[in-house]
Amino acid sequence: MTVMARRRTPGSYAVLVSLIVLAVVMLLPFVIIALNAVKTPAEYSSHGPLSLPKGVYLQGLKDFWERVDFGGKLVNSVLISGSVAVLAVVLSVLNAYALGIGRVRGRVSIMVVFLLANTMPQEVLVYPLYFISKKAGLYDTRLSVVIIFTAIQTAFGTYLLSSVLSAFPRELLEAARIDGAGRLRILWRVVVPISRPTLGVLFVFFFIWTWNEFFLPLVFLVSNENQTVPVALGVLQGQKMMDATTTSASALLGVLPAIVFFLIFQRTLTRGITVGSAK
Amino acid sequence: MLKTGKTLAALAVGLLTLSACGGNGSSSSAKELRLWHYETPDSAMGVAWNQAIKEFEQTHPGVKVKFEEKNFEQIQKTAPMVLNSKDAPDILEYNKGNATTGLLAKQGLLTDLSSEVVKRGWDKQLSPNVAETAKYDAKGVMGGDKWYGVPNYAEYLQVFYNKKLFDKYGVKVPTTFEELTAAMDAFVKHGVTPLANGGAEYPAQQYLYQLALSRADRPWVDRFERYTGKVDFHDPAWTYAATTFADWVRKGYIAKSTVSTKAEAAGTAFMSGKNPMFFSGSWWYGRFEKEIKNFDWDTFLWPGTRMTLGSSGNLWVVPKGSSNKRLAYDFIAITMKKDIQNLLANNGGVPVDADPAGVTDPKNKKLIENYRTLVTNDGLGFYPDWPAPGYYDVLVAGTQKLMNGTSSPAQVLDSFAKPYDENLSNVGH
Repeated sequence: MTVMARRRTPGSYAVLVSLIVLAVVMLLPFVIIALNAVKTPAEYSSHGPLSLPKGVYLQGLKDFWERVDFGGKLVNSVLISGSVAVLAVVLSVLNAYALGIGRVRGRVSIMVVFLLANTMPQEVLVYPLYFISKKAGLYDTRLSVVIIFTAIQTAFGTYLLSSVLSAFPRELLEAARIDGAGRLRILWRVVVPISRPTLGVLFVFFFIWTWNEFFLPLVFLVSNENQTVPVALGVLQGQKMMDATTTSASALLGVLPAIVFFLIFQRTLTRGITVGSAK
Repeated sequence: MLKTGKTLAALAVGLLTLSACGGNGSSSSAKELRLWHYETPDSAMGVAWNQAIKEFEQTHPGVKVKFEEKNFEQIQKTAPMVLNSKDAPDILEYNKGNATTGLLAKQGLLTDLSSEVVKRGWDKQLSPNVAETAKYDAKGVMGGDKWYGVPNYAEYLQVFYNKKLFDKYGVKVPTTFEELTAAMDAFVKHGVTPLANGGAEYPAQQYLYQLALSRADRPWVDRFERYTGKVDFHDPAWTYAATTFADWVRKGYIAKSTVSTKAEAAGTAFMSGKNPMFFSGSWWYGRFEKEIKNFDWDTFLWPGTRMTLGSSGNLWVVPKGSSNKRLAYDFIAITMKKDIQNLLANNGGVPVDADPAGVTDPKNKKLIENYRTLVTNDGLGFYPDWPAPGYYDVLVAGTQKLMNGTSSPAQVLDSFAKPYDENLSNVGH
């Protein structure tokens, strides 16, 4: 420890300090939200958002939980985000296998199309998707949101994975082929295991991105029983009024599952990366 | 490999369940009235309408009200899409105005309620001033000939004031405009900013519009809101409003630092006793009642004016695709009944057909009496952001420039005129 300390240069102290500052800046909003989450509305109104709460007040949160059936919203969000994450990763792998390793004809133009699809703002997609889902009888179903986001996330996943897989070591593929493996076998036995860390990252991102989506779920999940967590939180922002304390409390509740999810998979991610490097 | 297969199988099952239970809630039988609104359960409207639902179920045995509390933003963004699908409710609360109810009416998504309104006598309960926002013409402009909605509450602006601070600095409640400026001078002298304001949202433009209204008359409002004639943004009313507003910021009646704060901040500044006065809507009333614990407060109407900002509240509208229109009308009828109207008033709301005799709390009574004064004077001047889509942001930007002093009043009024005139040519007036 002392040896380490002696080696610290002014530069590394500067890095340390700036990291601490950055951490504080990142955590401060969470602290403020947590502070307001446990205040009574009257306390918030008379002393403002930065004051310290006098005690822990959770009644607002309890009322809100029952008012919007928050448990049901959590189930919807997990169901939708989970399905999208799994489906989008599977589809991305299949697409990227064809584009990155299979090198199909015109793959550059296909990639460009995927890239363009990614830059498309969701507002542009709303009306076409609305008419399609209405025609298909899927308007106001969770399935419609799963399909839409699987497509959206797959567009990004395909683009990213194709670039990654185009740099895949050719010798490995050839060795497998000489050993008599077919295309499908190479995909599942060689490509997927080796690119597992990347797939893991994609999976986590897809889950969290879909979890946080607000606009399209707002449009497509009309019935209250189909809604996701971010849409349900919107109930607290009225036409002229906002309920700052309950919003803070429920926002914490809303991000908690995503954070927990991230922490759990963070560990498998690191493991996945070390396994990959050992090979 | 095996693991992936299992996950996929589980997923497939999950998706099947998703699609299986996705379609429910959309079919509407005669035994169910599907009702949407977006008022919180503890607000005056929430309480009164909840009671209305109970009464409805009592008077209609065998009919169940399937109520869903909606997200305001969701209704705003998706109403045209929802109402155009089989998932439309039988009746819903919707915002009054050309860009909202007017637009839906124009698109043919709402039921024309005119005959029902006359048959059930609602037109007699609603003063012409309030009814204006419930009636639309073929172009979707308010004040038309057909009823597309029925409001059961109203809203208007008043000055909320902090009695403790008025006493502390020996300021008396103003009854004329001169007394108001004198009172503000007194507060400024003691280093207190008299008016709470939020420059990034509606409070600033409402001060500005109130100043204009104090020099305006009904035809002026009609020209501005209903396109009945040419609007001159450099007329005496607008010029007076813009120069006075800029002047008030300079004099310290309104803090320059509020240029980028929100309405919520203005409300909390008043509630925490930072500013002794806040000119804003009756929608704050219930919250002030509940959350102000440190001082007594009361209200007065903006002095020295016949007109002030206000209108009907949001409307009950019946989608064209509603399969239970008769039940929907019955429900509206219940919300217009005396007991529901009084319940609204006793919870700090402003019922359209208010009866001060039925209100117990003296402060609530005053709220109703002030409203009646305005209505009998034909004094509801509506809101400045109504005439054109996106006009709210134009007004926010303009008032911010006035506060910062980066543009002269004349330049700001020019910036109001341009989008207004563009909209006029778009709607074909």
